[in-house]
Formats: sequence, C-alpha cells, structure tokens
Amino acid sequence: MGILRFILRRLMFAVVLIVGVSAIIFFLVNAIGNPVAMLAASQPNATEDSVAELTRYYHLDQPAWLRYLLWLWNLARLDFGSSITYNQPVAQMLAIWGFETLKIQIPAILLALGLAILIATIASRRQGSRLDFGVMSTALLGQSLPAFLMGVLLILVFAYWLGIFPSYGAYSTRTLLLHSSLADGLWHMVLPVAMLTFFNTATLTLLLRANMVEVLRHDYIMAARASGLPERRIIFGHALRNAIIPVLTYLGILFGLMLATAPVTETVFTWPGLGFLYINAIQQLDYPVIMGESVVIAAMLVLATLATDIAYVLIDPRIRLD
Amino acid sequence: MDTSLPARSRIRAPRRPGVWRQGWRRLRRNRTGMLGLTLVALVVLVAVFCPLLAPYNPDDQSAMMSFGASAPPAWSHIMGTDRLGYDIASRIVYGAPTALTVGVGAMLIASLIGVTIGGISGYAGGLADELLMRFTEFFLVIPVFLVILSVVRLFGIIVVGTWLESVPHLNLGTIIVLLGVFGWPPIARLTRAEFLRLRQLEFVEAARCIGARRRDILLRHILPNALPSIIVVVALGVGAAILSEAMISFLGFGDPNAVSWGQLLYFNYETLKVAPWASLAPGAAIFITVLGFNLLADGLSDAFNPRLRQ
Repeated sequence: MGILRFILRRLMFAVVLIVGVSAIIFFLVNAIGNPVAMLAASQPNATEDSVAELTRYYHLDQPAWLRYLLWLWNLARLDFGSSITYNQPVAQMLAIWGFETLKIQIPAILLALGLAILIATIASRRQGSRLDFGVMSTALLGQSLPAFLMGVLLILVFAYWLGIFPSYGAYSTRTLLLHSSLADGLWHMVLPVAMLTFFNTATLTLLLRANMVEVLRHDYIMAARASGLPERRIIFGHALRNAIIPVLTYLGILFGLMLATAPVTETVFTWPGLGFLYINAIQQLDYPVIMGESVVIAAMLVLATLATDIAYVLIDPRIRLD
Repeated sequence: MDTSLPARSRIRAPRRPGVWRQGWRRLRRNRTGMLGLTLVALVVLVAVFCPLLAPYNPDDQSAMMSFGASAPPAWSHIMGTDRLGYDIASRIVYGAPTALTVGVGAMLIASLIGVTIGGISGYAGGLADELLMRFTEFFLVIPVFLVILSVVRLFGIIVVGTWLESVPHLNLGTIIVLLGVFGWPPIARLTRAEFLRLRQLEFVEAARCIGARRRDILLRHILPNALPSIIVVVALGVGAAILSEAMISFLGFGDPNAVSWGQLLYFNYETLKVAPWASLAPGAAIFITVLGFNLLADGLSDAFNPRLRQ
C-alpha cells in the first residue's frame, strides 16, 4: 500500500475518532442542563433579556442533536465557537494555552530522548556491571514515580527549601505587567521540564537498553567487530540505529500520555497550559472549551501516532504498511 | 488383578510441576519480583488490618483543638497532622483499602470486558476479529483521563436531587466503573494474541478431535493457558488504576466521603511549604503501591515467560 493511501486511511480514522469523542462529551455535558442558566444563577444582576440573548446565541433553545450537528459543521470550518466564561474565541484560547503546554512537553521529550540514548548506550556496553545495575534500578524506580509526585518533590526542594526556582506559573507578575523577558520564561520552565524529563528518561532508557542488549547479540554486530570497525561506529552506526526504532514509535505514545495527564502536571505548577484550562472549563461547565480541547487533544494523539508510524517506515525499510 | 497396579504406575507420566508452580519457583528467585510482592503484601496487610493499625479514627479532627493543625510529626501523631486536624498516619492507613478497592475493582471490570472481547476476537477471527479490533483501537486512542474527568464531574452534578444521591460512595464507584470501562483495551489485545497462538497448538486440536464442545475448549483448554500472561497485564493495570484514582482525587474530583491518598494530597498541597509531611506521606504511599504492582508485574512476566528474557 502506498504511503499516501495509508496516511489517508489513518486521517479518516482520526475523523471517526474525533466525532466519537466529541459526541460522548457533548451529550454528557448536555445531560447536565443549561450552562447559561447556571451562569445566570451565579450572576444576581443578570437581566432576563441578557439570559434570553445568550440562550439564543448558544442555540440552547434548539434540540441537542441539532446543536451537535451545528457544532460539527462549525468544527469542519475550524470554528470552535466561543468560550462561555472567558468571552474569547476557543480557537484563540487553544492556541495560547496550547503553546504553553507544548513549551514544556516538547523540550522534555527531546531532552529525555538524548539522555536515554546516552545512558542506555553506556549501560548496555557494560552489561551486568555495577553501573548498569544502578542505572537500571534508578530507571525502574523512576518509571513508577508518577511525574506529578516528582513535581511536588522538585517544588519542595528547589523552590521552597533552596529558593532557586519559582514554584508556580509560566512568568512572574513583573514580566506580565512590565516587559516580556525570555530569561524569566525559561527560568520558570526549568522545574516543569525537569519533572517531565525525569519520567520520560526513565521510561525511554529502560526500553532502549533492552533493545540495545538484544541487538548487540546479533551476528552482524559480531561481523562488524570482526571486520575491525572502531567500537564507536559499531555502537552508533549499527547497533543504535536498529535499537532505536521501537523507541521512536514509543515517543508518540509517550507524548499522548503526557498530554492526557497534563491537567495533573500543570496543576502541580499552576502552569497556564491546556490541562489547567481543561480543569477550569470542567469546573465552570464551559462546554465549548471542554469540547474544543478534547477534540484538539484527540487529534494530537492521532497525529502523533501517525507521525511515528511514518517515521517507522522511513527508518526501517523492512516494515510494510498495511 | 495383582499386576494392574504396577502396570498402571509404569505408564504414568512423571509428575511435573504445573505452570503456576513453576512460575512461583522462578518468581521466588527473582529479586525485583519478590520486592514487588513484598510491597504489595505490605499494602494488602495494612488494608486488612487498618482499624488495628490506625492510631486514630480517620475522621477524628480533635487534634485541631489541642495538638494543632498542620503540626509536624511527633510521638502522638507519628506523621503529623494536616491542615484540617486529621492524623495523617491514620488517613494513610485507611487510604490503603480505598486504593486496593479502586485497583482491583477497576481491573475486575476491565478483565471481564477485555478477556471476553479479546477471546472472541482471537478465536473467531475473520470479520468479528476485524470489527472488534477496530473498536479496541478506538478506545486505545481516546484521551481516557480527560474523558473520565469530565464524566466524573458531570455525573456528580446530574445525580443531585435524584435517588442516586443516597448511594454511599457513589463518586468512588463511578471512578472505579469508568477506570474499568476505559481500561480494558490492553487486556483485550493480549488475550486476542494469546488465543490466536494457543488455538493452533496440538492440545487444542486434540481436544477438538475427541469432540470437546466449543465452550469447553475456550474456557477449559485455552483460557487457563492464557491466564499467566493476562495476569501480568492485570497486575500492571491495578497499579495504573490506583495512580489514576490518585490523580483524579488530586485534582479535586475524588469522592469527598472516601479516605484516599490523592484526596489527602489535594487538601494539603496548598500548605506544602509549611507542612510538607502532609503531602509527602500520601505521595510516598502512592509511589510504594504503584512501584509494588509494577515490580510484581515485571517479576511475573519473567516468571511465566522465561524465554523472553535470558
């Protein structure tokens, strides 16, 4: 099967997925009742006219299935509607808050990949040594230490006890009010990125080391050794290239996992990202935001797996698409 | 008739330990696996004997009056008190049964669905297999955690004013059911792979030849042989479910009437700076439990499939 047909099929699957997820959430939110009525109940000086106007604006006087179809139709034109509590277009909000999320997720994944390659290569070359055992035990422990607990520890030690890094937020108030400062933004990123990197590194190292050990046993490694290639070229040119393929496919899953648990990791650092926004939206029943975000995250998950599948094929010519 | 006894004993095959006994023997020699088993046993023991172990009633806030809220560990409160005046050690101990109920309950539901779907898919093959696996794939890519969060929150609003409100621990029950309903895809995939592998082995063919019914082949020949592998995924799933419940509670979507570690973190995270013990203790409890199940699963997988790792 051609790669284009494969991509097309997966994209169709993504559409089915998005329709499915959004339908589940839409009808659930709908079962609760009227978000505008809830909003009005909390605003004592809301007039009947403004309530009626809002109700008409969100089409709450129409049946649920019709509103769902309307929502889908708007989504097809990339119109996510506007937030009930923030009075902003959802698309704009997703872009702003999503940037903050990716700002800590992507560096954490890339850093972890680099660290895992370094650590796993060293450990697998000294199999069974004390160093190998130590690295593997730490990685096994690290994999069971949930990222958000690591975050709590990091805040306690580096923000409260040592006072080096800030404990919350993406920028300090000073930056927000006076001038934008790159250094300040980076300074705030250190702890959240460290938290995510630690977890990702543990997982990736375990996987990569297992693959390296497996690959190093193959005959072609022995053949390379016999032909007198320098060890460095054997490790990086032959062994690592083969061992890293399953790790690359795992990156997509890992990215998805990080995105899905963003509400937790971002709550720990009061980080203004998609996860934090999601929690707020659920609390306020801001359903355009809830739906828009679920759809965007589901789409990112599918695209991440698709990207890794394509990378898989490009790296390993033995793999066929089906 | 004298000769029948020795004759029969001669043709009897030498008794060899079954897969379970062999697995146990290998597990006992596996250091990580035994560490995991010890940690899990510790949590189970604490959960079973929690009324005996806890120094205070978990709902006792009397420390507020004398000892003080957010007080550091001391002899009378070995892990200190939290900002609501609860004795943390007692809340930790009483959190163990909650955690285990969530983990085991969710995985019971997940295994029931997963083994059924995976088993049918693997044994039947063809169109049924294709459809069921697409369905499983769909569930695998749903951002489960986000969906569970919204459902828990929304369900909590729907039930207000209905008879459901009087059900004890309704919120916790909802979380367990949701974790189960969304947690089955890995079990289904593994079960399918095992059924596919086992159904073409000789002993299944032999069973078919002697005219065993399909139900018996599935439940008495294939399923018992697939169980060791399934148990590994289930052990991993128990740890993951406990972690998910902790995260849901940490975000404030947990059951306010249940004593849970995540909830303890939620209530005390704000005071991390002045009373770190109140957040560290539940954090450590979650870590130990999740670690225990992960290591146990690791050990079990080595014990049941020794050829995978040499």
